[in-house]
Amino acid sequence: MEVVWAVGQVGAVWVAVVFGLIVLPSALGISLGISEAYMWVLVKTLEWATIRLQKGVKKPQPQMPQTPTANGIIERDETPMEKEIARLHRADFEFSHIFYFCRKGFEAIVEDEVTQRFSSEELLSWNLLTRTNVNFHYISLRLTVVWVIGVIVRYCFLLPLRFTLAAIGITSMIVGTTAVGQLPNGSVKNYLSEVVHLTCSRILVRALSGTIHYHNKENRPQKGGICVANHTSPIDAIILTNDGCYAMVGQVHGGLMGVIQRATVKACPHVWFERSEIKDRHLVTKRLREHVADKSKLPILIFPEGTCINNTSVMMFKKGSFEIGGTIYPVAIKYDPQFGDAFWNSSKYNIVSYLLRIMTSWAIVCNVWYLPPMVREEDEDAVQFANRVRSAIARQGGLTELPWDGGLKRAKVKDTFKEEQQKNYSKMLVRNGSIG
Amino acid sequence: WGSAPATSLLSLAVTSEQIEHLHRRFKQLSQDQLTIRKENFDSIPDLEFNPIRGKIVHAFFDKRNLRQESDGLADEINFEDFLTIMSYFRPIEMNMDEEQLDRFRKEKLKFLFHMYDSDHDGKITLQEYRNVVEELLSGNPHLEKESARSIADGAMMEAASICVGQMGPDQVYEGITFEDFLKMWQGIDIETKMHVRFLNVDTIAHCY
Repeated sequence: MEVVWAVGQVGAVWVAVVFGLIVLPSALGISLGISEAYMWVLVKTLEWATIRLQKGVKKPQPQMPQTPTANGIIERDETPMEKEIARLHRADFEFSHIFYFCRKGFEAIVEDEVTQRFSSEELLSWNLLTRTNVNFHYISLRLTVVWVIGVIVRYCFLLPLRFTLAAIGITSMIVGTTAVGQLPNGSVKNYLSEVVHLTCSRILVRALSGTIHYHNKENRPQKGGICVANHTSPIDAIILTNDGCYAMVGQVHGGLMGVIQRATVKACPHVWFERSEIKDRHLVTKRLREHVADKSKLPILIFPEGTCINNTSVMMFKKGSFEIGGTIYPVAIKYDPQFGDAFWNSSKYNIVSYLLRIMTSWAIVCNVWYLPPMVREEDEDAVQFANRVRSAIARQGGLTELPWDGGLKRAKVKDTFKEEQQKNYSKMLVRNGSIG
Repeated sequence: WGSAPATSLLSLAVTSEQIEHLHRRFKQLSQDQLTIRKENFDSIPDLEFNPIRGKIVHAFFDKRNLRQESDGLADEINFEDFLTIMSYFRPIEMNMDEEQLDRFRKEKLKFLFHMYDSDHDGKITLQEYRNVVEELLSGNPHLEKESARSIADGAMMEAASICVGQMGPDQVYEGITFEDFLKMWQGIDIETKMHVRFLNVDTIAHCY
């Protein structure tokens, strides 16, 4: 009996602490500085760990180019095809051409730009998480001890805390939005719905130990606009709603996600599509157009890549989002992989194991840049507009731009791409006068 | 990852990090199997554009390149074979002497020779040469077969003149042998063109 009472006391204290230190400040939008202190300790520890690692590495370095890049492991010659073939040119062209293509072929076999983007970014330094310990071996006892402490802290303290917070956040989201949904439509309802959404977002961000830096807040998406961002993980949406209210767009799911969707749509006009509706592009565009035309409605949030990319590059934007019209507010999101990898490799992990990995990382640190709004110009078609927006996002976030389709994660290269490339090559041949 | 073929790899002088990278790549291509087949190369989007894709993939399974005694094509290759083929593309090291450089060059040219000589008879005939040129120009609707043929013919003529000197009107040039091939490439620096160089990925202190 006493044991039960004691456990009850501990439980009560725990909930009170969580409520007082985390939930209440999130509701009021203030910060107590706890996460800043945590980050400071974390950074110092990781710096120390890196220095120890460097001391442990004793290999003599061979003469190799020193440029570290998170984007590749082989040095690529970026000279355009024409210059390089001209360099090799002797009398017969095809020998030089065969060299060029041979080398390109080998480079592609060692590492191709596309597949690389669907696996997690490799770290240049170990961040004391086992999952990133690919290249680094046992260095010293002290490092191992720190690592063990890290494991205990992460799994025994942080994980339950985060789990509690997530549970509180999701429950309050469902309860809050259902409650607000009962009110008659009006400004009071909208205001309360915003409060509920923001509070729950903030709680959820703290559930992930998220540290987010927002830049250029003056460019924040306005009502009646479309917010467009690069996609790395399912938590991108939470990162953005932490700072503003958006109308989500997506497919109706079953299970817990479905419950959340049904509850939130009562309070705020999110756009959820049935599975059958999603296939009908015209229907989708029409509904989104109606939403955007109503200037009193919240801006919609869309991820045009269509799939999760590993945050080192931005792939092709699907043109559908850019055909709706209206003002586009681009947003660039860049995660810092040092503290935790946010990328969801959906072919490797399911959503539950992904969330578990997120909750046992050190933290989620990211930068969000709001870019100035863009509108489609007279002589631009949807594809060109999409590419223009994509370049802006890639440039701001420091990501590389790839012309590839995110769908390549699962499918093969489209023939149209191949033909494009072959045409380039033959144009070059004809121009050089090598033929005829 | 299975048996580590230590001795044969020492001659490659690649670092263990590079071997690990290549091994990860191998596992990706083979989808975690122990061997790769030709079909596994279909999963590389960048390779789709390459006009001589067929020949490159073929080179991986060519037993002459795999330094095996027998001839013909292998059905599948394991990681050691993969590394053997990749070794043809390693860059020059600073500490190589004349003899090593010469051997290096010969090996790379031999690899290229095998790519042309598709029937494995040790000679590149006019037809084989035409095949390669056609493949290079393949997929282009604007260039006709005639152009490919004239290029190939021109090249063979030049090869003949380099290797055999002036030929009589009824002399037939059978084909480019490996020695002729070497002669054609004398003086041209291929070692620096035919390699894939790894970047040095080191531990670096990240200070915030």
